[in-house]
Amino acid sequence: MTTLEEKFALRRERVLVPLAERIETHLKSVFSGFPRIDRISARAKCVGRFIGKAAKQEGGIPKYADPLNQIQDQVGARIVTFYASDVETVRMEIEKYFKYIESKKIVPESESEFGYEGRHFILFVPEDLIDDKLEREESVEFFELQIKTLFQHAWSEAEHDLGYKPSGELTSDQKRRLAFTAAQAWGADQIFDELHRQISGTVVIPGTSPN
Amino acid sequence: MPTPSQKPTAAPATKIDIHSIHSFLIHPGKGAENPHEINGAAVPKSGKLFEMLRPVFDEAEEDCAHKIAFNSQNGQQKNDCRDALITYIKNCDLNHGRDIAKRLQAVTTHRSGLGLLFLMTGDKNGETKIVVSRFPADSGILAEEKGKGLSVEFLERIFMKSAKTYKAALYSGTSFTKDFWRGQAADKQINSAESVIADYWIREFLVSDFLTPGEAGTRRFAIAVRETMNRCAEPSVKQDIVAMQNFVAKMPSQVVSAKGLLDQFHVPEETQTQIKDHFPKAKSFEETFTFVPGEFAKLVNMRTIELDNGALLTAPTDRFDRVFTREPVGGAGNVFRFSTQGSVVDQRFRKVKP
Repeated sequence: MTTLEEKFALRRERVLVPLAERIETHLKSVFSGFPRIDRISARAKCVGRFIGKAAKQEGGIPKYADPLNQIQDQVGARIVTFYASDVETVRMEIEKYFKYIESKKIVPESESEFGYEGRHFILFVPEDLIDDKLEREESVEFFELQIKTLFQHAWSEAEHDLGYKPSGELTSDQKRRLAFTAAQAWGADQIFDELHRQISGTVVIPGTSPN
Repeated sequence: MPTPSQKPTAAPATKIDIHSIHSFLIHPGKGAENPHEINGAAVPKSGKLFEMLRPVFDEAEEDCAHKIAFNSQNGQQKNDCRDALITYIKNCDLNHGRDIAKRLQAVTTHRSGLGLLFLMTGDKNGETKIVVSRFPADSGILAEEKGKGLSVEFLERIFMKSAKTYKAALYSGTSFTKDFWRGQAADKQINSAESVIADYWIREFLVSDFLTPGEAGTRRFAIAVRETMNRCAEPSVKQDIVAMQNFVAKMPSQVVSAKGLLDQFHVPEETQTQIKDHFPKAKSFEETFTFVPGEFAKLVNMRTIELDNGALLTAPTDRFDRVFTREPVGGAGNVFRFSTQGSVVDQRFRKVKP
């Protein structure tokens, strides 16, 4: 009997890796010439992370009864922008060119917290990118797209690396330090965005005239 | 009925038999304070009515030409119409069917009129299929021969699969999480200029839109047109595209397919084939989308003519024929003098084509 790990590994190799390449190429084409985009990338979820996610529990029962069909970020794409206001501009473009079933802005739960931020979409895989040789059950309907600033991206990468070490849960002090870096990233985004809008003339600085 | 997500992986598409049919009479009820009570009935799986409905179910994949998808509500993975359909599939009874009927009644205007809603479901090898169809009411005359006499009678509530107003939607899948988000629809009125008619079935009742958003469909079409123009060596094809572009540039936003649009402007078959060849998939050539004029203009915004003397004449596509005046020179018919006038604002070098 084939295990979930074997099934996903096969799907990953046959379907997800080539699909991720096509999605990345397509996104780069749609955003060709779009200003202040640092990078666009797409990747197939690695086997270990998929199995880890599939094993998650909620209230003592498995979160996913049918992980191969229920986990929607088997292909994940990312667009990294320079400034915070660019995230919103990219979001609007995405909504023009892709059909989505979910769009959410992820922010910390309360105003006094600092942590992960970004715009997440669950998008339909465009028809033109679907491999028609595959049976419907073999492929995926959706992929995840994250839109983040450079600072949000840098913070989430480091936080993911530090926060998921096998040595166990972070101490309270380590968590506070991570929150501190998130606050710094948030502050840097605010200042850079403000400077960008002042310099590009979209915000008038008192005592000056716009370009 | 088992939950699709718990079923084994579905076999390749096979003919699915009808499991149940429910029918509901839908009176107009949009904006009504006291909407008409909805009466429904289960349709037996034998007899003439069943035989009439069976092709509607079996041939839905061909009849429902528009690819659609449910809209997300408030950015969440939720759509009330999809939820109602899934609940109906899980229960397959009149009460849950009536919930769908109520949704249709709530968007049905007097202009859309009385209709008969059919909900047909089936499943095979783990794949579940639902076809939702609406037959509009019409009037007619019943003529019956009685011995040597003839009896004629006016009938009011005749429900027909009218070519103009018949509507249907098809969804299928093996997982309620992954599937039943995209579907197919039949709606001959979707490209009506009147938004009330156009929006009735897909946008208001199904709370859906085309799977390919307007900008994406227009972009795909514009890129195919541009690539054909740039890569094709046939002067007649290029001329067809220039002529077509002049019409398309003035076209308002409307629901079209690339094929429908090219037919509309009588673009010759040969040119259509060249454009179709530049689509990522041939089947996308007939996919419906909402044409967005600004998106088309953005992708074919500059037109260049290259002459055999080395000259390259470039101007915005929509103004090219006003920027350059063209007059024939000599009698050969293929030599022209182009003229223009203006102040020089810039000069550029360009790399030669490899």
